[in-house]
Amino acid sequence: MKRQLKLMVTAAAATMLSFAATPEAKAQGARVQITGEVIDTFCNVSEIMFASGTAHYQCAVWCAVGGIPVSIKDKNGDIYMILRIDEDDSNVANPKLVTIQAHEVTVDGELIKRDGVNYLLVNKVATDKGIVSLTHDEHGIVPFGN
Amino acid sequence: MTSILKTLLVATPLLTIAAFPVFAAEGVGGKNEKELMVEGTVVDILCEIAKKCTPNCGEGKRQLGLKLDDGKLLAVVKNTDLFAGSQADLAPHCGKKIWTDGILFENPKMPVYMVQGIKTTKDAKEFTPVDGFVKAWTAKNGTHEEWFRNDPTIKAQIAKTGPLGDLKFKPKAQ
Repeated sequence: MKRQLKLMVTAAAATMLSFAATPEAKAQGARVQITGEVIDTFCNVSEIMFASGTAHYQCAVWCAVGGIPVSIKDKNGDIYMILRIDEDDSNVANPKLVTIQAHEVTVDGELIKRDGVNYLLVNKVATDKGIVSLTHDEHGIVPFGN
Repeated sequence: MTSILKTLLVATPLLTIAAFPVFAAEGVGGKNEKELMVEGTVVDILCEIAKKCTPNCGEGKRQLGLKLDDGKLLAVVKNTDLFAGSQADLAPHCGKKIWTDGILFENPKMPVYMVQGIKTTKDAKEFTPVDGFVKAWTAKNGTHEEWFRNDPTIKAQIAKTGPLGDLKFKPKAQ
């Protein structure tokens, strides 16, 4: 009995240690569902140009492929920087993020706030309505025009 | 026309910065921007906040930041190349302390940093310009005046969707 107890304690300690040592330990984010437009982070946050919808789609693709973070902007103007999409932790020029630029999406994920930035780990794109923000009639193609 | 002018106003100082090794960070015409020099350790943001780590800060496949001495994490989203991030410039310094000059955008919804120069020692006289994206891209794709109009991934995407995101959308006649 004493030997069994000792074995159980040892096994439990080993399990705890293996979790602590793994670099793939689970994120401690709050589970959220976010709805908004997929955007290029830099043009939006810096406000150097009009940066929404069809007018800015091409630039958003350039920036995503160039490695600038992709975010989601919700109806309140809150911005969530995407660090994971589906199960893919590659968040630089991720092909999935390139293909949904300017789309209105609802995503399920984990939110981690740090020093004023909302970081979002997307588990699943629940809905994708495509591009619904038609801004090119008013703004043309930004930047560089048509 | 206004947007073209604005873009030129943004692009000109960036190209000037890229041309000369000695410089101070310059604004890009953004809102709530200010020059900021920082010293910090290069970190993979996902590793830093969620303990999801890979070797060498993801080797260019992860968004990177600077962890300052007070523990604050600064998201570095841009270098001085047009439409490009900072991974090529920062990843070689993964886990090391660097000194940077750049622009902080103090957007209350998300503060972010554009790095414009790097020093690897505090006492170095000059900042090294950060234009690693285009250098790496050119090595792979050859020399082009505008990388973003010649990138194979971008060309394939725009061929599928058009410049407005869907071929059913048509640019307004000029």
